Amino acid sequence: MSTETESSSQFDSLKERWRPRIERFRRGWDRFTAEKMGVLGVVIMVVFILWALFPDFFAPHSLEWRAYLGTEPGRMTAEQSESLPHPPAFGDPFWAPLGTNYGGEGILTLIIHAADDALYIGFAAGLLSSLVGVPLGLISGFYGNTWIDEIIQRIVDVMFGLPFLPFLIVLVAIRGITTTNIILGIAVTSWLNNCIVIRGATLSLKERSYVESAKVAGASDTRIVFRHIMPNVLPLAFVFLAQDAATAIIAQASLAYLGLADFTANSWGLMLQNIKSGGYVFEAWWWLIPPGVCIMLVAAAFYFVGFSMEDVTNPQEDS
Amino acid sequence: MTRISARYLGKRLVVSYLTLLVIMSLLFVLIRSMPGSFISSMITPELDQADIQQLRRTWGLNEPIWSQYLDFMINYQTGNFGRSPTYKAPVWDVIISRLPRTLVLFGAAFIAQFIIGPLVGMYLGWWRGTRKDKTIFTSSLAVYSMPAFWLAWLFIWLFNYELGWFPSTYMFTKFAEFDWTVMNIIFDVLKHITLPLISIAFVSWVGAMLVMRPEMNNVTSEDYVFLAQAKGLSERTVMIKHAARNALIPVATQAIVGLAFLLDGSVIIENVFSWPGLGQVIVTSVLSRDYPVSQAAFFMLAILIIVMRLLTDIAYTYLDPRIKFGGDS
Repeated sequence: MSTETESSSQFDSLKERWRPRIERFRRGWDRFTAEKMGVLGVVIMVVFILWALFPDFFAPHSLEWRAYLGTEPGRMTAEQSESLPHPPAFGDPFWAPLGTNYGGEGILTLIIHAADDALYIGFAAGLLSSLVGVPLGLISGFYGNTWIDEIIQRIVDVMFGLPFLPFLIVLVAIRGITTTNIILGIAVTSWLNNCIVIRGATLSLKERSYVESAKVAGASDTRIVFRHIMPNVLPLAFVFLAQDAATAIIAQASLAYLGLADFTANSWGLMLQNIKSGGYVFEAWWWLIPPGVCIMLVAAAFYFVGFSMEDVTNPQEDS
Repeated sequence: MTRISARYLGKRLVVSYLTLLVIMSLLFVLIRSMPGSFISSMITPELDQADIQQLRRTWGLNEPIWSQYLDFMINYQTGNFGRSPTYKAPVWDVIISRLPRTLVLFGAAFIAQFIIGPLVGMYLGWWRGTRKDKTIFTSSLAVYSMPAFWLAWLFIWLFNYELGWFPSTYMFTKFAEFDWTVMNIIFDVLKHITLPLISIAFVSWVGAMLVMRPEMNNVTSEDYVFLAQAKGLSERTVMIKHAARNALIPVATQAIVGLAFLLDGSVIIENVFSWPGLGQVIVTSVLSRDYPVSQAAFFMLAILIIVMRLLTDIAYTYLDPRIKFGGDS
């Protein structure tokens, strides 16, 4: 905060200005890595990000590949398609480590190629709902107990009255079933908790003395909110971003289960929907288990990182 | 001594009512703006344009939208929900016959959630930072991350398909040779509800735990906990009687968030288990554009949530004597 008095015209002073922040980040990182849960979350996340960025490198086949056929278009013999979905086996004629589905696509290939979809939905929905929830929470908290606060809280009340998943189904039905619309729908319905928690934090932060002194110094409301209060609620906002991301991934899978998935995209939720519509829920465990485990791992990774961040930013002494 | 002034209660009731009106208006707009309508499911090749117009007139779709809106707002508040085009029955009958089934599943899950969640949260918060806490907390977050329907499939696979212990669909056994005595019915329903119930409860207790754990950790540094410890009371007594009681207060207000979570869970779970409840009605009626039924189902859920919110706020004042609503301060 004292950095504003220093001159900022020189490149050297820029480095000087950023040093305390880097120091703070390093201390936070040290505390973060002390938490095994958070590290586990980061590791899982890195694996899935690598899958999402370089699917061709990790997947045994390309998306066009089919068992028995390879990448050539053609028809399987009746005997061949009878043997699908093919369980994972040693010495199968094709290299499909997790078996195949009824269409002859390798499960592992599908899983790896769907990682980008899940991460995209998670990050985009989490960011969007933070972009709605955090500013509204800040404004609502800063103008606590005035008509502005009142209006925002009534909007939250109304949104709470609409059950999340059915409401999401209606939104997706209106806008059409695409990944973008699913993300928008999740963002519209999940900013509430974000807003409420940020409001609570802002209500207590605005009574702090540094906000008082900024006010006395003649800072505008906007400046106080964004310069002085927001940096202090951002860690909290990050915790909720991670939670929203996890919720979004699970919500997308649930929509897919109800038949509301983008059937042109390749996603884990869609894989589960295909198992259900194909009637293979209890016959092909090698097809049923991996997508669910992946959804669980990515969502859990978001939760792990989020809750570890909470410990970093709000350390409690161990009793 | 009542802690809630009549004026506060009156204000809250008015605000709740206005909230409901806004939710209803939103519902009307949203549900009408879904493309297509239930008429299209009634159209058969034999019908010509005049018949279709006749159908639209019968179901009131040719009236101007504002008059449809006024009808909707007035009828719903007088309890007149109209008839369902797809169920061929009064909407009220469709809803009311399914509401108890949802409430049975839901209430049981709600109780399970708010007993297990706070209990686990209490232990984890009290022992925060220990290895036990970290292990249980991490694994419960992993459980929380599972898609509910997938978990339900795993349960059906294990307990129904492999072991054959519990049935996996419907609420009753649907066969003529079933002996319809009261004991049999109760036993049968219990058998049918087991799998849906554990599927919901398995995931949703984590929500309450997440609220309880930090609260419990906060109260451990309060003076009255130190006082109780200094008095030489046993660890267990201090934890349960002194710390947990106070940590429970925010959990009670958060119950409403847990309720919303249970609603989402039950929509999915009812679909997996073909449980003939409100959640299933909502999904099918929205997908078939059955306006009257979907509006009524959302309306019932909205009332449920609004009433619960009001009740938790009132319960709050009784749990925490420091809080007074409607005072002059």
